[in-house]
Amino acid sequence: MREYLIRRIVISILILWIIASLNFVIFQVVSPVSPVSGIINPKFTPEVKRKLLEIYGLLEPLHIRYLKYIRNMFTWQFGFSFNTMAPVAEEMSWRLPSTVLLLGSAMVATVIVGIPIGILAASRRGSKMDVFAIGSGLVTWGVPIFFIQLLFMLFFSYYSYIMWGFQIFPAGGMGTAPPPSNPLAYMADVAWHLAMPLLTLVIGSFGSWALYTRSLLLDALTQDYVVTARAKGLTERTVLYRHAFRSTLPPMVTMIALNIPGIISGAMITEWIFNLPGIGRWYLNSLMAADYPVVQAVLFIYAFLMIFANLVSDLMYGVLDPRIRVGARR
Amino acid sequence: MAFIFSKEKRIVYSRKISGFWEEFRRKKIGLFGLAILIFYIVLAVVAPWITPYDPIIKSRQAEDFAMPGWMTIFPQYRNYPASKEYLLYWNVEQGRDFITNWGETVVVEYKAQTMTTVDVELSTKFSYNEIPPNAFYFKFAWTASDLESTEYSLRVTLFTPEGENRTDWLMWRQPALKTTKGEHVYVESVNPFFRDMLGFEMQQNPAPIIFSQKGEYTLLLRMRFKPDTKTARCQIDLENTQLFVPGRVHGVLGCDDTGADLFSQLVHGTRISLVIGVLCAVVSASIGIIVGVITGYFGGLVDEAMMRLVDILLCLPFLPLLLTLVFLYGKNIFYIVIFIAIFGWQGLARMIRSQVLSLRETAFIECARAAGASRTYIIMKHLVPNVLPVAFASLVLSVPGAILFEAALSFLGFGDPRVPTWGKMLHHAYGFGAFTRLAWWWIIPPGLAITTLCLAFVFVGHSLDEVVNPRLRRRR
Repeated sequence: MREYLIRRIVISILILWIIASLNFVIFQVVSPVSPVSGIINPKFTPEVKRKLLEIYGLLEPLHIRYLKYIRNMFTWQFGFSFNTMAPVAEEMSWRLPSTVLLLGSAMVATVIVGIPIGILAASRRGSKMDVFAIGSGLVTWGVPIFFIQLLFMLFFSYYSYIMWGFQIFPAGGMGTAPPPSNPLAYMADVAWHLAMPLLTLVIGSFGSWALYTRSLLLDALTQDYVVTARAKGLTERTVLYRHAFRSTLPPMVTMIALNIPGIISGAMITEWIFNLPGIGRWYLNSLMAADYPVVQAVLFIYAFLMIFANLVSDLMYGVLDPRIRVGARR
Repeated sequence: MAFIFSKEKRIVYSRKISGFWEEFRRKKIGLFGLAILIFYIVLAVVAPWITPYDPIIKSRQAEDFAMPGWMTIFPQYRNYPASKEYLLYWNVEQGRDFITNWGETVVVEYKAQTMTTVDVELSTKFSYNEIPPNAFYFKFAWTASDLESTEYSLRVTLFTPEGENRTDWLMWRQPALKTTKGEHVYVESVNPFFRDMLGFEMQQNPAPIIFSQKGEYTLLLRMRFKPDTKTARCQIDLENTQLFVPGRVHGVLGCDDTGADLFSQLVHGTRISLVIGVLCAVVSASIGIIVGVITGYFGGLVDEAMMRLVDILLCLPFLPLLLTLVFLYGKNIFYIVIFIAIFGWQGLARMIRSQVLSLRETAFIECARAAGASRTYIIMKHLVPNVLPVAFASLVLSVPGAILFEAALSFLGFGDPRVPTWGKMLHHAYGFGAFTRLAWWWIIPPGLAITTLCLAFVFVGHSLDEVVNPRLRRRR
């Protein structure tokens, strides 16, 4: 197990390094736009330009810049934002928690809603629940989550405000302007503000889980060992949960890892729509303002989050699937 | 087709296609999806003929945030008018002698006989029978030419209907002038200069006050000539006098914040979504097939390298990276297609690879190899045709992803600014106040269009998958 763990971690760091290098190449080597275009005004005199380039270390040869860049990325020194002139790491430190909160709770809620619906659908094939699972799966395929969010916002924030004078859910933000001093009230306030983003994220994506669980479980239910279990006289419940569902867990864990890019994209658009102070919104604003240090750092963090989740899911795969030999080549 | 294939081959292909159609016909949901798809394709093809307005340029078709035209069936909106253009024809009030041409162009040829000031007055009447509007636009063109030693001035006045509170509003005036001049006059009620000229307050909107009554309004155009000598003369041409009152309802889907027709934007958006979706899917499927077949057939180092590349690509945060690339390389529809395709081939490549891995070991490939067939021959003649059906189903299934991706890109403001897309409509709706004005007709239609188009592809793709995919067929 230890060997496997170390191997996986080394591979993850390798992938992170490749992505960081890609990041460097995109912004500093092949980019048609100068990485300092956001800060260097064309009206500057050549001396000032040169001085600025020197301050930013852009006059050094490429390989030195690359080495410095890699060292800084892996030591969490992302430089200074062009816009605010504050250290990027510092700016990120208060934005990251809200993104992680949104991402994490959306993921957990989606799985918690999706998997039971899938199980119910598979166990009662052809029932109303089955139709519902398939229907919600189609919603995931065809409906942009941001459209669901816009609809919710239109009806639960704006319509309700204009018709009845109050908002069922607030249209944006992470909390009311002076945050309540009572910690319980504060938590309730944040929950109220996060309710609509979360709800829409779950509605927009639980269907794929339901559908996936359903098809995995249907596959499993036709296997010989399920027939054996039934022949042994076990209750349907035991057969379903102990035998069939258990075997679907490993592919499900892989599915979580594969879903993370989608959830990150979804959370990014969600932060944009609902004006949440997370790194997704920060990223978009920085990109539009050509604030490259921030953009690089956020891309790196996103890659880091995804690789970390992949690593965890790989390890869980090993735990959940006893057939995988420890240390064996997959 | 007939020119490419021999007769035997044509028969084989037509049998294959008809057999395939026989199977596909049984899938109700697939047929339903196909029907929606055909509807959208037809819509995309006939877009320029069924949409009355250019989707991008033509604003001010009606009021800002005008409701859809059919909203008038509801009692509270019953008296909401549609846009109306009043074509105005001048009648002479005073100075008939000087008018030499009537009709579309009115020509006034002034020739001084005495040294007195002469007024030529033209008037036109129109009846306004709607509720007070929020805006109006009045326009005409005039030119003064053939000018000799005279001073002239013009003014246009609007008289409200006869009655005790009849008022007159100065719409526009040209102060006394001694040189030739010509201009297109646009009088806009929303223009602050116009508001100030009439003496309204900052917050006041002149339009509903001016047109507060129903009835016959009169426009009066007065031309005043002040000759310096007895040979003074001047010719004034008047053209295209129009009054446009934007409606509170408009067309099938109403208007956006600039008064542009939303139905036109929606229909034109169909083209972009279809083209982007299909193009992305074709490009990414081609990459996927090539990579899948090569890695599956050759195996070894190529396989290992490619699969690691797939692993890395699966670890990339697609949307942020895509946004960055689009931002750096320009918001161009071509780049968007390429970038989306680059991120979309991994799944298909893996699937094709596994298919090829099993096909490689089958007897007929071995026979071909034994018969001395080259690698290219085996790949092109045996492997590719065998994986194509599955690849095709997966291609159709990957279209919605591309459409959604492009919509997300456009929604975030990273779409091609030159083309109308559904994502961009939503972007504008979000950014330009559709929510505070509760303009659901700006938010719901584009979203529904994306949804139905994607679902159509999903329906067709799933049905295709069931027909061509042997694994799914067995389970049934």
